[in-house]
Amino acid sequence: MDDSSVSHHNGGQVGSQIGVSVNNKQNDEPSQSVQYSIPGILHFIQHEWARFELERSQWEVDRAEFKARIAFLEGERKGQENLKNDLVRRIKMLEYALKQERAKFHKLKYGVELQQGDVRPPPEEPTSEPEHAERAQWKQGRQLIKQYLQEIGYTDTILDVRSNRVRALLGLNNEEIENPNYRNYDKQQHDRCDYSMNHMVRKYDYGGKEARKSTGGGGYNEEGLSVQETAAVFANFEFLTNQEMDMDEIDDLDAKQSHHICSKKGEDLDLEAEEVLNELSLITEREADGGGQGDEYPVGGSAGGAGAGAAAGAGAGEADEEPLALGELAQLTVSNEPEAYDVASANKESFRKTWNAKYTLRSHFDGVRALAFHPTEAALVTASEDHTLKLWNLQRTVPAKKSAGLDVEPLYTFRAHTAPVLCLAMGAPRSEECFSGGLDGTIRVWNLPPPTADPYDPYDPAVQGAVLRDHTDAVWSLAAAHGRLLSASGDGTVRLWAPRAARPLLATLRADESPSAPAPAAADFADAAARAAVAYRDGSLLLYDLETGQAVLRAGCEAGATRVRAHPTLPLLVTAHEDRHIRFWDAVSGRCAHAMVAHLDAVTGLALDPNGLFLLSGSHDCSVRLWNLDTKTCVQEITAHRKKFDESILDVAFHPLRPYIASAGADGLAKVFV
Amino acid sequence: MADGLQILRRNRPGSKAKEFCRWPDEPFEEMDSTLAVQQFIQQTIRRDPSNLEAILKMPEAQDEGVWKYEHLRQFCMELNGLAVKLQAECKPETCTQMTATEQWIFLCAAHKTPKECPAIDYTRHTLDGAACLLNSNKYFPSRVSIKESSVAKLGSVCRRVYRIFSHAYFHHRSIFDAFEKETHLCKRFTYFVTKYSIISKEILILPKLDDETPVGESEA
Repeated sequence: MDDSSVSHHNGGQVGSQIGVSVNNKQNDEPSQSVQYSIPGILHFIQHEWARFELERSQWEVDRAEFKARIAFLEGERKGQENLKNDLVRRIKMLEYALKQERAKFHKLKYGVELQQGDVRPPPEEPTSEPEHAERAQWKQGRQLIKQYLQEIGYTDTILDVRSNRVRALLGLNNEEIENPNYRNYDKQQHDRCDYSMNHMVRKYDYGGKEARKSTGGGGYNEEGLSVQETAAVFANFEFLTNQEMDMDEIDDLDAKQSHHICSKKGEDLDLEAEEVLNELSLITEREADGGGQGDEYPVGGSAGGAGAGAAAGAGAGEADEEPLALGELAQLTVSNEPEAYDVASANKESFRKTWNAKYTLRSHFDGVRALAFHPTEAALVTASEDHTLKLWNLQRTVPAKKSAGLDVEPLYTFRAHTAPVLCLAMGAPRSEECFSGGLDGTIRVWNLPPPTADPYDPYDPAVQGAVLRDHTDAVWSLAAAHGRLLSASGDGTVRLWAPRAARPLLATLRADESPSAPAPAAADFADAAARAAVAYRDGSLLLYDLETGQAVLRAGCEAGATRVRAHPTLPLLVTAHEDRHIRFWDAVSGRCAHAMVAHLDAVTGLALDPNGLFLLSGSHDCSVRLWNLDTKTCVQEITAHRKKFDESILDVAFHPLRPYIASAGADGLAKVFV
Repeated sequence: MADGLQILRRNRPGSKAKEFCRWPDEPFEEMDSTLAVQQFIQQTIRRDPSNLEAILKMPEAQDEGVWKYEHLRQFCMELNGLAVKLQAECKPETCTQMTATEQWIFLCAAHKTPKECPAIDYTRHTLDGAACLLNSNKYFPSRVSIKESSVAKLGSVCRRVYRIFSHAYFHHRSIFDAFEKETHLCKRFTYFVTKYSIISKEILILPKLDDETPVGESEA
């Protein structure tokens, strides 16, 4: 019971005491004047007995009160332990997620299942078994108190008024009293908690310094948190009778349980172990400071943290505060939800920034020299040194036939080149065509089979389109825009084509007429396809006007270039170089706007995303890097391919519409990242 | 492509076709890549495609399974060249079935139920199927070590691949000869399957190909 009821009791006692003393006076006075008489003595004894009886009943009342107090404190303890349990479960969840992550990581890294002790989801909430003996005892005690109180004049209504009110507020009408049922469970949970705390600390100890740091902090905070939270809970529960608290606790637990399930799902997606740790420290941090600073923990935590002690004393007996207290309780339940979503969305955020390998395209017998995405579909074409091109549909993963284990099987194999295929360009959307250039000096136009094609369909010669044969040496680079095609060849020329026209060759661009002129390494359309940017093997960069065929801008450096890309919206050219640099050029002034060492070896592939915000680069150092074009900082590095001789990554690409990036390697593989 | 101190064996964009892969040989012992065997085989072939002894001389301490596997990859890859040539001449109308001699009609195993594909389809499907199998993550997840059970898969690929040679030999002789003159592929293949007893001798129906192969009237 709380103080208000105590004071009521006192009032009652005082009243009865006064009554007694009045009686005493009335009876004592005559006994003083009158000599001792048997009836007088009897009366006195009777009177005394009545007084003792009264006192005794008073003590009983006190005892009952203390019992109630004890019961309340038990409830308190239970509340605290439930909180603790919840935190333990949360830790276990995180632990489990971490284990899963670790196993996954291990599997991805070494290709073997990680053998660890017990990877299984944390145990379900144990079902509480009512212990009838204990419950009966408790009920009995309660009945006793009721009886005493009735003797003194308390009615059931007054006795239960608070609980009734709370019940009404909660919309509950369950009379069940469950408190004792939880005791064993609490104890069990408590033990488990201790165990898992140790376990966790031990686990994280080998998880690296950072992990240990955050966990250490977490562990410590955990303790502090318990105390603080307990105080808050004290305040919250002060107004409630035990069984109501139980109800709430049950609801609370259920809510948290579901929260865990959903947060676990989120984690299952693709949560990095690091993020688990972050989350852990986030939670502990947030809760440790009473939630005052946390966004998601507004009233409940701070009120509980700050005014915990005060609320227990001062707020007592103020029925007006009950809704607030309940509000806090509700907060306690609900506050987990936004947090869960927050974590999930945070994951999503980082997920969006991080590209993960999803498809490995294996079917080429030799290095993949180039790849290009379909303009709209989740499909791509790869070109290889094995003289073939292959079409892949990423949305048609292979049903396990003879090639089980393959992520994607090629839809179609394009055969016509008689030498390694070196470059690729995709036609405009809906044209369903692509172009390839090879070491054999030919440029071939291909009509893409529909994405529903079967790899074992009959041969259709119509897939092969026109062949452009004007180049006299290897064709190293192709770019397509507005129905025109730009090619750079080892014969020293860059040519402009209208591939579908009767006379496809439109123009031939040469740096100069001398036979020793450097060969172009790469070419790209610039300035809405009105110009051509050509990077040469000697490092020079020329911008040609495609109307006149004349070079309008000359820039460059000493280091041999391998690739050039024009920014989709800005007058900016990006070149990749043998000297590990990526250089940025102002397409108006020809000034080198920025130069950076981008890789550990020659840069071989460049791609700009369709919005011109990110740059993708590949290098013979086996890594693909994603750059923020604005800050020129590396956002992500992916080690993607293995070396064959001294070559590794040969091309990279962005999907023009969909969130795919891809890399092509000398190891004969192409990889697609999402 | 010797850059003074260091030889970088790579093909640079813009280089000439005749420079392609024309770098100094690298001793097999110095190849530390996972693709060392492929590198070594290709390097030996480039040096002299007619020197079968050299091409098929397995380095010491080399895993034989990987050696055979990499050679078969190389065969299938180079067979693309024959397929390209056949595409121009071998039409479904003329070669409605995959045959070599009149003795057998070969059924295409690329389909759920093997069927009588025209020769050109058989050729393409067989090469595509071989590409899938040889790149299968299930059977050949690694290129440095291969399970014994997967090595057994090589035999059936070899048998089917050989039919492409035999069809070309018996039905498109000029293409076969031109291709063989250029690559010595069928000779090498026969030498390979005989040396490692992958195909039984009875199946090798082509007459022994000697150096006196008639000078084919190049491609039609």
